Amino acid sequence: MATHSLQKVDHSALKTNQLIIISLNLLAFVFNSPALAAIVALAMGTGVLIKKPGFGFVYTSLLKPRGWMKPDVLDDNPEPHRFAQFVGFLFMAAGSGFLFFGTTLPGWTLVWVVVALAALNAFGGFCVGCAMYYWLTRLNVPGFSKQPPENTFPGLKPKASING
Amino acid sequence: MISDTLLRFILTVVIIGTGWFAYWLFNQRLLGKAQSQILSLVDALPDKPVIVYFTTPDCTPCKTVQRPALRKLLMLAGDSVQVIEVDATQRPELAKEWGVMSVPTTFLLDARGEARYVNNGVTRVEKLMEQLQTLSDFEI
Repeated sequence: MATHSLQKVDHSALKTNQLIIISLNLLAFVFNSPALAAIVALAMGTGVLIKKPGFGFVYTSLLKPRGWMKPDVLDDNPEPHRFAQFVGFLFMAAGSGFLFFGTTLPGWTLVWVVVALAALNAFGGFCVGCAMYYWLTRLNVPGFSKQPPENTFPGLKPKASING
Repeated sequence: MISDTLLRFILTVVIIGTGWFAYWLFNQRLLGKAQSQILSLVDALPDKPVIVYFTTPDCTPCKTVQRPALRKLLMLAGDSVQVIEVDATQRPELAKEWGVMSVPTTFLLDARGEARYVNNGVTRVEKLMEQLQTLSDFEI
């Protein structure tokens, strides 16, 4: 059954995570480093397990305490963001796997897909993984129960819920 | 011979450039929408540049950064510019007509009502000032 219990989610932590993922993946591509792509996959996988953004520690231990990035706390569901990170992890893990086995085209394509989706989220405020999560909720898939915050288009940041 | 790293760097720049171009096209579409919508906000053109600022009550960056930036801009520019604030939760149809997808979003229109710039997300006072100064009809 779909539920509406919202929690406080700091979108600055999510944004930091996305920007680091984008940067490291671009460096991995430019320097042809499957190992760096694998590190990104590993961080995202760890994030899925501990239910936090994979590179969120950079925000919580460095950027936020020094005031370099201000918190952007919104009433939101954390589950779709975790699901989005899980989807990103799957892409990165598959991409890294291809790269280690020397299949570079699908490997780098998957890495670039993650870059594009993270950029869409970081700069456009639209989380494709979250939209997928809410779509699965609508299909009553077991394990997917959260509804988007009121007046929020599925996948958009809650404060961007102006098109109803 | 071009090294592999350089080739990859060039490819990265091309891909990012393509993404940037797509974003620019999106902004042009927004400007086109704003162009035909200015008279939905004012009865007559105010004969000076206008900043249309879309916000919502629960938008934290709007309160902490964007509104103070606009306040500072008004202090610097005085009567040379008009700021129209639109609460997108109060007027969702207007936000839809203007093509606003997120807040804060600021549109900069010249004195003839032509939409010249759109800023998606928080925009610093320096950038707004820079944009205003490119308008031929802007004088402090």
